[in-house]
Amino acid sequence: MEYAIHTEKLGRVYKLRHAKKEDPQELTALQDVNLQVKPGELFGLLGPNGAGKTTLIKILTTLLGPTSGIARVTGLDVTQEAQNVRARINMVSGGESSGYGLLTVRENLWMFSQFYGLPSKAANQRIDELLKIVGLEDRKNTKSSDLSTGLRQKMNIVRGFMTDPDVLFLDEPTLGLDVGASRDVRRFIRQWVDENRPLPQGEGRGEGRTLLLTTHYMVEADELCDRVAIINKGRVLACDTPANLKHGLQQDAIFKMTLSPLNGLNVTQLEALAGVKKVTHTPQDGAAELDLILESDDALGGLVTLLTSNDIHIRNLQKREPTLEDVFVDLVGHSMQEIEVRE
Amino acid sequence: MAMTNQKSKIFNLKSLVPDRQTFTRSFRMAAWLGWQIESNWTDPFLFAIYSIIKPLSGAAILVVMYSIVSGGNFESPIFPYIYLGNAFYMYVGQVMTGISWAIIDDREHYKTLKYMYMAPIHMPTYLMGRGVARFIVASISVLITILFGVAFLHIQIDLAAVNWGLFFLSLFIGVIMLAMMGLILAGITLMLANHVWFIGDATAGALYLFSGAIFPLDVLPAFLRPIGFIMPITYWLELLRRSLVGSVAQAFPTLAGFSNAQLLYILIGLTIVFGVLSAVVFHWCEFRARERGMLDMVTNY
Amino acid sequence: MSSQSLTVHKTIPKNSGARLFIQTVLARAYPRIIGQQREKSWMFFDIVMPLLAVSAYVFVYQAIGAPEEYVGFVVMGGAMTAFWMNVLWSMSSQLYWEKEMGNLALYVMAPNSMMAILLGMALGGLVATTLRALAITILGSWLFQIPYQVTSFWQLFLVFTLAMIALYGMGMLFASLFLLLSREAWHLSNLAQEPVYLFSGFYFPIKSLNFWVAASASIIPLTLGLDAMRQLVFESGAALGFLSVPLEIGILAILSVVFVTAAKYLLAYMERLSIREGRITESRR
Repeated sequence: MEYAIHTEKLGRVYKLRHAKKEDPQELTALQDVNLQVKPGELFGLLGPNGAGKTTLIKILTTLLGPTSGIARVTGLDVTQEAQNVRARINMVSGGESSGYGLLTVRENLWMFSQFYGLPSKAANQRIDELLKIVGLEDRKNTKSSDLSTGLRQKMNIVRGFMTDPDVLFLDEPTLGLDVGASRDVRRFIRQWVDENRPLPQGEGRGEGRTLLLTTHYMVEADELCDRVAIINKGRVLACDTPANLKHGLQQDAIFKMTLSPLNGLNVTQLEALAGVKKVTHTPQDGAAELDLILESDDALGGLVTLLTSNDIHIRNLQKREPTLEDVFVDLVGHSMQEIEVRE
Repeated sequence: MAMTNQKSKIFNLKSLVPDRQTFTRSFRMAAWLGWQIESNWTDPFLFAIYSIIKPLSGAAILVVMYSIVSGGNFESPIFPYIYLGNAFYMYVGQVMTGISWAIIDDREHYKTLKYMYMAPIHMPTYLMGRGVARFIVASISVLITILFGVAFLHIQIDLAAVNWGLFFLSLFIGVIMLAMMGLILAGITLMLANHVWFIGDATAGALYLFSGAIFPLDVLPAFLRPIGFIMPITYWLELLRRSLVGSVAQAFPTLAGFSNAQLLYILIGLTIVFGVLSAVVFHWCEFRARERGMLDMVTNY
Repeated sequence: MSSQSLTVHKTIPKNSGARLFIQTVLARAYPRIIGQQREKSWMFFDIVMPLLAVSAYVFVYQAIGAPEEYVGFVVMGGAMTAFWMNVLWSMSSQLYWEKEMGNLALYVMAPNSMMAILLGMALGGLVATTLRALAITILGSWLFQIPYQVTSFWQLFLVFTLAMIALYGMGMLFASLFLLLSREAWHLSNLAQEPVYLFSGFYFPIKSLNFWVAASASIIPLTLGLDAMRQLVFESGAALGFLSVPLEIGILAILSVVFVTAAKYLLAYMERLSIREGRITESRR
């Protein structure tokens, strides 16, 4: 089978210019990344800031060369056949400020359509259709410098979809958008992939349209993606459907506990208890929240005893189903927020 | 009523003059920022090469032009007139550009202008502070140009005969005057798109004609000369020439009827006029830009 | 958001090759042309101001007693600075701003040619450039009563055309550097202004310089272009010419081919190098 995206031992190391002698001279952004994305798949790449998601997308979109390994998009090598790859892809980044402020929405989109060889008339028709779908029809003659962040991102999304790419890369597309706009974008993405699923030969689109989405929002990955790869520090830690990833933790007991402040008790002491796999502590105002991954419900007893003997009051205890966040914590050892706070 | 109240704030003198703390804070940080931006693009060696080649090339154009026509007669007083006028004129382009360019840079490239406007700083002072780095670079260029002229082109400057007091006083007043003019351009830039990023250089190029920098004003057609006489740059350059090479200035009768003191008073007077003009123009442009939501516009194409 | 179907029922056929090249050129020229229409402030600063600056050099010559024809040389040189500035600022270093804004990545990622993008930028700026050059030539000639005596219109046209092709080819060559560099490239452009004015003889006949200096400067297309045009339009131009007009035409033709070809290969090489080094998307202000 020809994969839409295929990487084998893909790596990227940056040389740090102007680094002092005592500091590291290199930064490894990606190492040994092996991915196979089937045509028609909505594939997610989930990881904290600095995990290597954008680096991977840049390599796949021919903007950055790998330092090791290979990467192919629609069967074409991204370094040797870059020009052919470009004819089949497009990319939309979150927080993007592309285009020109003095041009209107429609003019900006028309301009980019021309770079892909779309005939003007067909391009304008397509642009008008897509603007209507994303709800920007009444702003098509507005100068892009007059648009809000959310509307500009919708314009960027139209830019990505209008060239009808075989593979579309979305790098944090909902970054900076409000709840409503984010929901609209996610629905739009899902619909596009579903409507363009690979069909049996002879019926419409045989190959389908593939979408690779990077995000650090667990909910987004869970909701949208057919499969998810979890990436941290340049390495892919796991790659499977969200359901299977969560199922891997099903044997564990996951609890959420709200209690009074920990009074000097620390996470290490709690994790030292038998049957306690992972404790994530989130201090609140006048309270504390613990996310617990236990080997079984039985481990709860020891934990409760330790807490109560330290005069800590348990205000709420909830057992819940594992989420992708829990999967991440289990694989990495810290939550995404903890990693970002440290950095 | 609300609009009238808004407009009346433009002419509120109190808002035009910052308190000492705000002035110091705004100027100091802007000067530091301006230097960081101007100086960190390369290593010191390349920076030095850049600072030497650029001014000398500009001066060399005039030197070659003069040399072709005069057959290399560098003894004539017109040559030092042209050479020194051109050397000091570098301040005009650099200071005016340094101040007006900061608007384009902050608004379009770094997209920080809106944050500067939200901060408790005095904007005109901030912009003048941003011009300090260009002033320093210009000073290096001017010094190198003059030294080259003295060393290789027979520019006679007798250090013992230089009127240092007049020189530094004129230079100081002149730089303030240029900063005021730069502020006018900065105000205009607030209202315009990115494609006039060269407004500082373009204005300096145009004023070249009217300032007596490279030829006496008498050469201009009679109907154009009054423009030169209302330009403070004319008197500033004349004072600098007189302080450095008095004999050269004496060879040209355009301003011979004015004593040094009179020229100084005219320069100070015109600087004050341009100062008031710059304050009014800048604040009006700022008001209009704010009204139209242009402080954070991005127009690059 | 509407829940209308997103399925494209018919795949839109896309152009490639020469058609894509032309589409890209026109599309990239569009923002510049439209931008200048929407905000006309550039007209004053890009036409009136440079005319005044050129006039300053005319008066310098008058102040030092230069022969009349030198005034014509200055006006012609002043007009041609418009094209040099267009190449330097509207094309070469524009890639730096595109990189900062994030557009460069989108250009590289599209299946078009970087040469087409650069040509589009230059074409877009050509409206303002041509207006500037014409204004300086026409108004300057009228103000200073410059007498012209064109000896051959077709040679003049050929010289101008070849000089422009070679100049824009050279500009594309420089632009490739900007793929790799950041602010250094912008300062290099700044540095390239005055030395080129000097060595290319924008304001004086290049013959006045040492032969080898003039010969070396001839690599800049405007050097021989200006020299040939002056020989063809001024009565005393031939006497002050560096090389004969036919020879200069020949050299310009060679430069055109060399620069355009070199630009094609260097752009491709620099693009690959920049991608390998990770410079396309870096932002080092």
